[in-house]
Amino acid sequence: MIVDALSVRGLSRNFGDLVVLDDVSFTLPAGRIAVVLGPNGSGKTTLLRCVVGADRPDAGEVLVQGRRADETDPQVRALVAAALDDIDFFPDLSVVEHLELIAYAHGGDAEPVGEVLAELGLEPARDQLPVTLSSGQRRRLALASCFVRPRRVLILDEPEQRLDVRGRQWLADRLLRERAAGTAVLLASHDPELIDAVVDERIEIGK
Amino acid sequence: MTAAPATIADAPAGVPTARQVRAQLRRARSRHHDHSLGDVLGDAYVIVLFVGMYGWFAISASRDLLDSPTVGQAEPGVRWWLAVAALLAGAGLAWRGLRALGPLLVTPATQSWATSAPIDRRAWLAPRFVLLLVGAAVGTAALGVAVAALAGVSAPAALGWAAAAGAGWGAAALALSVVAQSSRSGRRWPTVVGAAPMAAAALITAVVVLVGRLGDGLPRPGSTPAVALVAVAVPLAVVGTILAVRALPRVDRASLTTGAQFANAAATATILLDPSLLVGLVESRRWRRIGKVRSSRFLPGPGWWALLQADVRRLRRHPSAVLIWAALLGVQYAAALALPGLAGAAQVVFAYLAADRLTGGLRAVSRSPGLRRALGGSDNLLRGIHVVVPAVGAGLWWLLTVPTVDPGPAWLAPMLALGVVAAAFRAGTRPPINYGGATVNTPFGMVPVDLLRQGSRGPALLAVLVLVQLFLG
Repeated sequence: MIVDALSVRGLSRNFGDLVVLDDVSFTLPAGRIAVVLGPNGSGKTTLLRCVVGADRPDAGEVLVQGRRADETDPQVRALVAAALDDIDFFPDLSVVEHLELIAYAHGGDAEPVGEVLAELGLEPARDQLPVTLSSGQRRRLALASCFVRPRRVLILDEPEQRLDVRGRQWLADRLLRERAAGTAVLLASHDPELIDAVVDERIEIGK
Repeated sequence: MTAAPATIADAPAGVPTARQVRAQLRRARSRHHDHSLGDVLGDAYVIVLFVGMYGWFAISASRDLLDSPTVGQAEPGVRWWLAVAALLAGAGLAWRGLRALGPLLVTPATQSWATSAPIDRRAWLAPRFVLLLVGAAVGTAALGVAVAALAGVSAPAALGWAAAAGAGWGAAALALSVVAQSSRSGRRWPTVVGAAPMAAAALITAVVVLVGRLGDGLPRPGSTPAVALVAVAVPLAVVGTILAVRALPRVDRASLTTGAQFANAAATATILLDPSLLVGLVESRRWRRIGKVRSSRFLPGPGWWALLQADVRRLRRHPSAVLIWAALLGVQYAAALALPGLAGAAQVVFAYLAADRLTGGLRAVSRSPGLRRALGGSDNLLRGIHVVVPAVGAGLWWLLTVPTVDPGPAWLAPMLALGVVAAAFRAGTRPPINYGGATVNTPFGMVPVDLLRQGSRGPALLAVLVLVQLFLG
């Protein structure tokens, strides 16, 4: 039996009487890229936050490789990499130290760090502290955090934000390589070029 | 088909232990700053010394004040029962504080770069839990001693029992709040645990006030049941701690980071001497919980009429402000029974707090030049419209508490009531803090006098009103 990499069933989220997500369901096999589409305020970010466990849904469930995606489960955290807008940085750790730390915490070594730094154009900033980074560099560092660790599911919230033209080209190329490697990618994006270039499935919410 | 219930699995193979990740993080951070263990211990020593010295001074001064003729005589039973009610209300508020903070939390950076990894969550959270548990037990033990000393207890054995009771209940509350933090949303028991002592406090206060005003007051029990309190608290703390340790692996990211936002806002508000930073977060959380409201058209009329309706509507959507306004009525009646000599001063302070609860609209228009521009009209007109609700609320509150104070000169009460509205107005219209003001070098260090001046806008006038009441009332 083929198990979907990511499966969302009947997910609902309310803020008081306001229904933000209403019975959202979809599946995403391994090696596929899906984009969540919807107008502003339709709940795209809330959906991604519920999928990674940063927010608690009021109903429904998320499965990762057939396993209920409880964020407290270390196996689930090992499978799911995410870059949402709530990322923060240690003010006293350099760029490279951030990436080495997360690689180490996932049981890996520093080997992919240099490659990812070069790929994302962060090599010149490797020893800089976060406060000295531009918003675009911070965004790249957040994305880099996903690529120095093992993953089977990748969740990205508007990854193209604050990236320049070259950065967006790199992002499209990187996502295609993730797909080729068998990673399931779920992203929210407003960039039609990126969507047309990489996306296999479109999940519309808030219609 | 429903997936099998999630179980907390072991960490995947090859993942370092929490201790190893913590050591790695500490090593990396220590390269960039030299904050040694000695510095931490030195800071802790200063804090303990400060709290101990000024705490004991506060207890002695309060005990002397309670026995002084200024405060006046009250039935011992009245004070005893009202102290019980105050402790219960404090416990309920403390529980709500613990729940808002977590109490376990991780900083957003730690969440992003460490606890998002598959390291064992119990092992990561355990040291912080132990620290909090010990801190809660020590803090509430000191509180128990302080309460007993305030009540005139001086025997070492009795103070020991008070400390044990405080430590037991503090540890139990902390441990159970961790269990609540790990429980799934929608569970009712954490809400009930927080509401029960508040309801009991309200009930006791109501009974004491009613009996006190109609008769001789409730009798004081023969002895304080300190031993019984210890006998209940200690087993509860032990069971709670066992449950909390078991629950640590189930404390999820959502609850860990929510508390961190509160803690961060509280720390920033303290450092910058600007409580509005914390108040803003609390308000945004409240409105987010409400989420959606029933919109309706304003009744036709001039612009100021629509703004006034909006302010009333704001109050209707924030019923806890009205609830606190009403609860302060009971507090004033209780204070008048327990501290009859200070009833007038208490009336001024509580009237200010009651009016301040109604200044949501005033604060909203005062802190946003953009909003004022969009609404049109002069700033004074906008502020004038938004002071109507607090002024009416303060006036009504004052009238309802008139029976609690001795009538002074005829002009005093209206002047104090107007002064209370002015103080609430000044606090509600405080502009954003300017950090470029003067500081004064004193033997105790640099004192930011300009910051204190800005922060005391409102409370300073209140202090003047209290002094006027004490001397002329």
